[in-house]
Amino acid sequence: MVEVLNVSKRYGRVEALRGVSLTAHKGRVLGLLGQNGAGKTTLLNIITGCLAPTAGSVKINGSDPLLNPSQAKRTLGYMPEHPPLYDEMTVEEYLRFAAALKQVPRAEIPDHVRGIMRSTGLTEMRLRLLSHLSKGYRQRVGLAQALCGNPDVLVLDEPTVGLDPKQITEIRTLIQSLSTEHTIIFSSHILPEVRQLCDRVVILHKGEVKLDADLSNIGGGSATVHCRIQGEPKKLTPALQHLDDLQSLQALPSSDPGVIAVSLTFGKTAMPEKQVFTLCSALGAPILRMTRHEDDLEQIFLQAIAE
Amino acid sequence: MKTVFRREFLSYFRTPTGYVFLGVFVALSGVIFYLNNIATLSGELLLFLSQLTLLTMLLSPLVTMRLLSEESRKQSEKLLLSSPVPLPSIVLGKFLAAAAVMMIAVLLTNVCTLIMAVYGTVYAGEWFVGYLGFTLQALSFLAIDMFLTSFAMSQASAAFLAFAGNLVLWMMDLIADAIPVPAIQSALRFISLYDRYEPFILGQLSFASITFFATFIALFVIATMRLLDARRFSTGGAA
Repeated sequence: MVEVLNVSKRYGRVEALRGVSLTAHKGRVLGLLGQNGAGKTTLLNIITGCLAPTAGSVKINGSDPLLNPSQAKRTLGYMPEHPPLYDEMTVEEYLRFAAALKQVPRAEIPDHVRGIMRSTGLTEMRLRLLSHLSKGYRQRVGLAQALCGNPDVLVLDEPTVGLDPKQITEIRTLIQSLSTEHTIIFSSHILPEVRQLCDRVVILHKGEVKLDADLSNIGGGSATVHCRIQGEPKKLTPALQHLDDLQSLQALPSSDPGVIAVSLTFGKTAMPEKQVFTLCSALGAPILRMTRHEDDLEQIFLQAIAE
Repeated sequence: MKTVFRREFLSYFRTPTGYVFLGVFVALSGVIFYLNNIATLSGELLLFLSQLTLLTMLLSPLVTMRLLSEESRKQSEKLLLSSPVPLPSIVLGKFLAAAAVMMIAVLLTNVCTLIMAVYGTVYAGEWFVGYLGFTLQALSFLAIDMFLTSFAMSQASAAFLAFAGNLVLWMMDLIADAIPVPAIQSALRFISLYDRYEPFILGQLSFASITFFATFIALFVIATMRLLDARRFSTGGAA
């Protein structure tokens, strides 16, 4: 568990963080959202003990990284925005070095590193020099070094920045697989990514927490589907109301006779398009148009950072 | 500390830095040996060692320039700072790696000593005292250079800072001579690495100088630790 208690950081006249408090629990992913310069990286550097706060404190599993660094940092893995790599080392050498830094017993290091390379898809690259790796693989190595020592807490600073779509998907899948056994704090300014990976979101703006809430409470991952369907409204509307996990059905104005327009809001678990398609197909009602609108995280973010 | 030492030491030889330093050091020490000893048919080991001081002054920035500045520039320091390894161990590991490379250079100059021993006489006591002083002075240069390079953000500026620092130390006697205030003169001479090296060149085992060099090294290694630690609390710029 990570507790950030009233943390402030000042750089000269600039207050990078102002009284930031948050808690991240085991088995959950906390997303730190904010524009560039919102203070996300400063906060993550403070959590990991790379920076000291001007005021306030941080507790990692009960230990302060400044007062009790050895205890606190043993349970911590940090992947900074720019992976901290030594270009002259091979992937395996570097991960062995990271494991030794994390005080993994010497005899266990080879197996430990092999396991991490397997889980991060780096086994084939193990003899490559870090300087010869692509951006995607460098990110993976950055994530792999954070996993060395099996830390309870993972702090990931924009881990998918600069990656191509395939690499982004791979890294997201990896983070998702890690989320069950770790406390993960994850910073990003990509809203769909936060929506996909996180259980809780903290929105930072100009060094202040503007929102700290469970994602289930701010839209819950709901999706809204707007449809235009050809058919009898009296027959279609009741049928649509029986779709799984439907939260609301709203009729929209339609100018064409014999065509209904509806807005259907579904919960997190639903597969809206599939359900609507199957139903309409069974009723013999052609779907003329169907568009999906993701939930309102973007709206909430914009409201939170509005002056 | 061992982990950091090992990585740092090996990295000197995974990049051209270690080879360039050792190559230039050995080549120039050979030139100095030729000019001082072979050309003049002199078997003066201590004279040879006194001339090597110029080499350590000129070349020690090559060894220290990447120790801290490169970590800052590439932000790889975050790996070290977020690890459970204490900051003093990190700094000490880095210093010892630089010291090990310097020791290799010092050891290689013994080829010249060997030649002198074959064609003349090298006294063991003279050898011991001379090399002790030379080693302590070289490590002192490394300690102050590491401290100065911790202010730099690139290898080039780190090398420049270290070289400037060494130059000031080298000119300390000249500066002392130029200041007609006895108190300042004696203070400057007290911290002059060259004045402190002099007893060794004369074949004297000076415990005062040994203590001075040991204190000087410890002081700048600790100052580097304090500086890096203070940077985390800095309010003047990003880490």
